[in-house]
Amino acid sequence: MSTVVDNQLVLWEKTQSVITATAESRPVAIREFSSLAKKLLVDPELHSLVASNLARAVSPFLDYSSAMVLFQLRNRLKKAGFKHPNSCRVALLGSSTTHQIEHVLDLFLFSYGIELECKESEYGTFRQELLNPHSEIYQFAPRFIILATADKDISHFPPLTASRPEMESSLAAELQSWKSLWESAHKYSNAQVLQDNFLEPTARLFANHELRLPGSRGSFIQELNRSFSLEAPPFVLVHDVNYLAGIFGRTKWSDPRFVHHAKMPCSPDALVEYAHSLSSILASQCGVIRKCLVLDLDNTLWGGVIGDDGLGGIRLGQGSAEGEAFQSFQSYAASLATRGVLLAVCSKNTDSVAREAFEKHPEMKLKLSDIACFTANWDNKAENLRAIAKSLNIGLNSLVFVDDNPAERAIVRENVPEVMVPEVGDDVASYAEIIDRWKYFQTTGVQAEDLQRTAYYKADELRKQVESSAVNMDDFLASLKMEALVAPIHELNLERSAQLLMRSNQFNLTTKRRTSSELSALAKDPAWFTLTIGLRDKFGDNGLISVILACEENSELNIDTWLMSCRVLKRGVELFVLSELIIEAKRRNLHHIAGKYIRTEKNALVVDHYRQLGFEKTGEADGWTSWRLDIDTLKENPKSYILRNAQHSI
Amino acid sequence: MRNTLSELQEIFRSTFGDDELEISESSNADSVEGWDSLTHINLIIAVEKHFKIKLATAEIAKLNEPGQNVGSFVRLIDSKSK
Repeated sequence: MSTVVDNQLVLWEKTQSVITATAESRPVAIREFSSLAKKLLVDPELHSLVASNLARAVSPFLDYSSAMVLFQLRNRLKKAGFKHPNSCRVALLGSSTTHQIEHVLDLFLFSYGIELECKESEYGTFRQELLNPHSEIYQFAPRFIILATADKDISHFPPLTASRPEMESSLAAELQSWKSLWESAHKYSNAQVLQDNFLEPTARLFANHELRLPGSRGSFIQELNRSFSLEAPPFVLVHDVNYLAGIFGRTKWSDPRFVHHAKMPCSPDALVEYAHSLSSILASQCGVIRKCLVLDLDNTLWGGVIGDDGLGGIRLGQGSAEGEAFQSFQSYAASLATRGVLLAVCSKNTDSVAREAFEKHPEMKLKLSDIACFTANWDNKAENLRAIAKSLNIGLNSLVFVDDNPAERAIVRENVPEVMVPEVGDDVASYAEIIDRWKYFQTTGVQAEDLQRTAYYKADELRKQVESSAVNMDDFLASLKMEALVAPIHELNLERSAQLLMRSNQFNLTTKRRTSSELSALAKDPAWFTLTIGLRDKFGDNGLISVILACEENSELNIDTWLMSCRVLKRGVELFVLSELIIEAKRRNLHHIAGKYIRTEKNALVVDHYRQLGFEKTGEADGWTSWRLDIDTLKENPKSYILRNAQHSI
Repeated sequence: MRNTLSELQEIFRSTFGDDELEISESSNADSVEGWDSLTHINLIIAVEKHFKIKLATAEIAKLNEPGQNVGSFVRLIDSKSK
């Protein structure tokens, strides 16, 4: 008689062989995994075990048939009643058959812990669906509208012999027709639109000279794609399918046989790439985001073992092919850091020896200042990863761990399942490509703040040092010379505000995720009060760190969303925000401010937030509490050490 | 000499998600549950991958015609993978 633990081990073994499989062995590994998983499904107690193993068997490297095998398993789980708590309503509109996209997309979102609730449009009716305010799509009230369109939907191709001005007028007309579809979508729904761009043609009428002619298909599609990227409004996100086809291989991307037979938008295996890319964007929009790349050192950032080979003995930099490969992987990691991905080190080494390489080796591309958390010791890596997450104040599920050693990878996968551990193999030359293909660090948009994040965390370390030397908290806070930049949500801070809504988990009272499109609608609604706080202090600018959304309702100012970046915890920002809320309530002649705490796995930090601010509890049920503050009873306004500044734009 | 039918049976089992599915040369879309236009395409994709063959547009079309069955599939695969 088998026990739960046995099943767990046997299934995990199969999952591991899927994770570590090569392209050749993967289909068989997946069939074996799936056969066993199906048998275990008989026992309802094993459903969540099967679900978590299934999620880990999914990868962007699947072939289409294997993806379908996993999709069937996913479907069985669904029929058996298993559901992730998070869901995502998506309207899928296309000019091709969208069934297969839906299936693969569903599988990938499942692997992110998200249930897809999908409404497809009838074949080829996307324009009608978008232009009709009463269409089924709008009645479905999707959060996202995916426009899976293709070059056959372009209606203003210029004549091949067109001059540049003629081509430009075709371009303007074409762009206008898409903009009016987008605007219609925005007018009749709050959904974020995901718009596919267009594939550059594989067949070129003018071969090498295609781009010399403004009227050629190749030229026109390039121009159109550029215009999409540059001119898409905030509620439209351009899905760069042309790029995907490029890395996948354009001739492999399309398979005319399946276009003719099944109206499939691309070849079966390309569909996996396409759906994975879409799912990574949707997941990041739903707040499922990886924030930190954790790196091993020996044979990951340089060749050899620094403790044995010494500074002069490790292989790094120009002069050897291997040394160049390590250096180029370092450059890749450094470039991730410049766009806001945190870097950490997790290595079995003596701390001083490991640091010496960073400080003294002339060929190091990564500097100690790029590393937000440096962990080199002889403890096991699973524990060290927990410590790294704790020290950076982020969840374990924000980490991606890269190690050349398959045994270390296996230990981490088994003991800290929240951490993503890509199967990078043992050749550093392919690490960057493998990590990139996973799209772990997909963002909701590119923000100025992203480019500075490591600096924020570094400044934070400095602040912590001052904190420990300050005599008391008041002195410390006063010594920071903080200044808050107060602004409603507007065009310039919209994307960053939306990003905070997606990223913040711990200091987040209700964890309501809203897209920039939904936010911009709220900001225009006079019933709503939107507030963003940017914080500066003597150590530097923390950027935009807090977003509050409140709504006037039943003669109360009702706080719908209150979140704050954890890098400014315990600075009195909460009190400052409360005083802003009181000012707003008074301006509206309201006497009460109400708020709610909705419990999640991660926001225990703020369970007593409202009590600490002097609110009274008005209700309580499983998973939430509600609170109210009578502002007439306040003897004095909340005091903070933060200077208000509404003059600067953020 | 490979046994195309039994290999094909494995492909049918994983495509239709039924590990007990038994097929014979006379099985057709009416006798196999879930064999519709969508799964037909999935079958062809899996067959191409497994047998490392590429079916022509016209050959895929022919498999869709009335009267075609698993036997036609087997003969087509054998003729392509000779």
